[in-house]
Amino acid sequence: MPAITTTHLKIGMEVHVELATSSKMFSRTANIANPQYYDAAPNTLVDPVVAALPGVLPVMNRRAVEMAMMVGMALGCRIARFTKWDRKNYFYPDLPKGYQISQYDLPLCADGELEFPVPEASDGTTRRVGIIRVHLEEDTGKLSHELPGGRPYHGSLVDLNRAGTPLLEIVTHPDLTSAQDALAFARELRNICRFLGVSEGVMQRGHMRFEPNVNVLVTTDDGREHATPIVEIKNLNSFRAIRDAIDHEHHRQVEAWTSDGIVQAPGNKSTRGWDDSNGATVLQRQKEEAHDYRYFPDPDLLPVVVSDTWRQKIAARIPELPIQRRARYRRELDLSASDALALTDDRNLCRFFEESIEAMKAIAEAKIPARRAGGASAKLLLNAGAKRANERGCPIEKLGITPTQIAQIIVLREQERIGSTAADELFGLLCETDADALTVARSNNLIQVRDQGRLESWCTEAISAQPNAVQDYLNGKDAALGRLVGQVMKLSGGQADAKAVRAGLVKKLHRE
Amino acid sequence: MHEPLGVLDTVESVANRRVSAVEVTGECLRRIEAHDRTLSCFRETYPDRVVDAARRIDRLIASGEDPGPLAGVACAIKDNIVTDFGRTTCGSRFLADFRSPFSATAVRRLTAAGALIIGKTNCDEFAMGSSTEHCAFGCTRNPWDLDRVPGGSSGGSAAAVAAGLCPAALGSETGGSIRQPAALCGTVGVKPSYGRVSRFGLVAFGSSLDQIGPFAGCVRSTALLLRVIAGADARDSTSTPLEVPDYLAAIDEPIPDLRIGVPRQYLSDENHPAVNEAVRRAIEVFTGLGAEVLEIDLPLTAYGIATYYIIATAEASSNLARFDGVRYGRRASLAEGEGLYDLYARSRSEGFGAEVKRRIMLGTYVLSAGYYDAYYNRALKVRRLIKQELDAAFARCHALIGPTAPTPAFAIGEKADPLSMYLCDLYTINANIAGICGISIPAGFAQVDGRTLPVGLQIQCKAFDEATMFRVARMFEKSTDYHTKRPEMGKGG
Repeated sequence: MPAITTTHLKIGMEVHVELATSSKMFSRTANIANPQYYDAAPNTLVDPVVAALPGVLPVMNRRAVEMAMMVGMALGCRIARFTKWDRKNYFYPDLPKGYQISQYDLPLCADGELEFPVPEASDGTTRRVGIIRVHLEEDTGKLSHELPGGRPYHGSLVDLNRAGTPLLEIVTHPDLTSAQDALAFARELRNICRFLGVSEGVMQRGHMRFEPNVNVLVTTDDGREHATPIVEIKNLNSFRAIRDAIDHEHHRQVEAWTSDGIVQAPGNKSTRGWDDSNGATVLQRQKEEAHDYRYFPDPDLLPVVVSDTWRQKIAARIPELPIQRRARYRRELDLSASDALALTDDRNLCRFFEESIEAMKAIAEAKIPARRAGGASAKLLLNAGAKRANERGCPIEKLGITPTQIAQIIVLREQERIGSTAADELFGLLCETDADALTVARSNNLIQVRDQGRLESWCTEAISAQPNAVQDYLNGKDAALGRLVGQVMKLSGGQADAKAVRAGLVKKLHRE
Repeated sequence: MHEPLGVLDTVESVANRRVSAVEVTGECLRRIEAHDRTLSCFRETYPDRVVDAARRIDRLIASGEDPGPLAGVACAIKDNIVTDFGRTTCGSRFLADFRSPFSATAVRRLTAAGALIIGKTNCDEFAMGSSTEHCAFGCTRNPWDLDRVPGGSSGGSAAAVAAGLCPAALGSETGGSIRQPAALCGTVGVKPSYGRVSRFGLVAFGSSLDQIGPFAGCVRSTALLLRVIAGADARDSTSTPLEVPDYLAAIDEPIPDLRIGVPRQYLSDENHPAVNEAVRRAIEVFTGLGAEVLEIDLPLTAYGIATYYIIATAEASSNLARFDGVRYGRRASLAEGEGLYDLYARSRSEGFGAEVKRRIMLGTYVLSAGYYDAYYNRALKVRRLIKQELDAAFARCHALIGPTAPTPAFAIGEKADPLSMYLCDLYTINANIAGICGISIPAGFAQVDGRTLPVGLQIQCKAFDEATMFRVARMFEKSTDYHTKRPEMGKGG
């Protein structure tokens, strides 16, 4: 048997995004994907339309269509001038009408691409995935076998809160070639949705569900290529699961091919689920079932005609997208690729970051060039800020510190009036108060002391307290100087300017 | 006892306090009590509710307030139109105890206009039928001959109005379910243009064909009723934003230079002779009024039934999927070991009657992969052709006239073969397919087996031209007295 020389992953993505409109896709009831209604008790976001009582009719939510258009435009898709709603018929208890309203042959958006940053590249390199189509439909309800609170229930429970939530389905070409890229694509798509304001993109809440279609091209040393059967992995709702599930499939499919030699053929696509605890995909359906959804145009809804005026109005609402913003940050503010990437994970953080730079400009006497200001603010936000945000489980921009206070810290730091440890501490203090940074730094003794007299007396005290260190230093062990500096910092309660201390110590020691 | 009052007489008498709303409503309730055990028009009545509502009207009038254009008019509602009181069963075991938390837009508009909802009327299950025999709760009888059907599916509403149990009723049409029973019961029934009346609250059968429409004893009454229930509704995207004209304003003015079209295909030899005779007399009436009568060729007429039974059943198969036993309505009790599939299959098998099952299966079939193009898609193409054919006809004439139904009322149980039943809608169905408006008015009588049975004349106009339709119908009505004739039990006493 010929030996395997290489294996290449081929991944296409099907993504479902719940749009955060205030009401549902076809009724006036509140939408669970809108932050206002996240924690609604089961079956409280239900009206006669959602419950599909006899006599009700769907009425299209125009805002949802506009959000879908925004996503389509952000992905460079063609927006259909004419589209319609179709019924996808099947029975399931989470589908009250017995059909889902979707778009079958005329999707709202088609033929686009998504450009995402290559994760391992530090130079900002990007790759592209082709988008086949983006269409709008309604989400289903949820079935569970547990009572609220987690107690088991003998039977099935239906919660219709999610039923009718506007749901965007995005289908890509199979252009992705690694789990890392699939992850980067998913992150970028989430960022785009957040920047557009169409979804909060909270993965744990199921705002975005990813279904990779994965297979492997196996090349053997006889020069032949073998494509393994396509596997669709259902409903992945964490970034880690996307990466791990695809990696797992990569190995599993190569192994399966090695043992059974089965290659891709019509009808041998299968569906697998992701078992997070075992880190493995699990077979759900072996054969592509001949599902006949009996699609037909929904007679209750009018076709959607997208006029030029409407399209232009929506196009004007598209903000600067993450990829453009990253490029601008690198170009104008000299940020590193990784800092730019980290900041653009969130539109609000970007806004906060940019406001801090604006605030710095307002502090006229500081005269910090934009490039320096950007780097300094990014570092502060992504270190001092991210650390605290992580501890408190809240976004950086909501820690309580204001962009102006950030700017003030940076100015103090630039003027070398505070040290880096003090800057971090000051950041923490400013999260709790509206006072300006200088006042807080002063009252907390964070301003560096550069008073020559006090510095000298601390140095003298340190030298007499650490004779061994002095001896070591004089014997050529430069590192011993650090111990002396530390001693001075301790004596000064951290207020001494470390640079000045070092200089003072060296001067004194050499004099002796 | 006096003759039952019609819609306009009721409005006028109540407004002028010659009679109170409570009195006229009481009279309706008394007549229902006396006759409905025999006729079975009503699924249920709301005596307390309706008398309360009548009292409110009387108080409004007494205090000089405007009680609305239909003040004091007792109105029956077909049992497939939801009301937030009582039950809405759609004539189905599946919904035997179903109570809707909301009312249909048409019902709300009636109530807001001062009409009094007196009860829910019997119909073929989910409006699927032409005889009001396919009901889970027994058939309705024709007041002209108790051994005959009232037509259907809005047979309960038609028979109730014809028998004088109430002056007005709402029905619904998907393929002739208002006009045909109106003809068979000798009353006036209107199928509005598609989109004229909100479908919100009408339990869907064929969504692209369904319309709610009124029954009453005369053309002007139906015009008033339609004006009240018609108009745009934010809850129904298919309702038209077009303004609703005041149909009564010019209803008594004859159309100048009226051109009437008579489709050749409508005067088939297969029709009952009395039906064709009525149409010929109507032609004479219109000619006598100075109208020009044109023979029109509508060769696609015959394709209507086939087209209809694909589109309507396809939509029905999907519309009725919500009756799954999960949230409301019939839920089969499952045996040990039975699961979800059994819940669906058993609940639906137990809840639906044979005709409904037949249509669900037919509709499921025509939408299936591999058959979609051959059936559903082709039916849509024929639908477009039928529309074009009718458009062309309306370019030549103001209105088309012809028989409403091929025969007068037939005997209960006579049409056991579904196909023969489907053919009852031959002349009405294309109006639904094309979305145009139509009205059936009394136009003569047939003597069948020693019984006198009413015959209807149908007048169809282009979409949203109900105003012309009513004026043409009124021209005929003013020249004839068929609409004044009532069955024995429809008279006083």
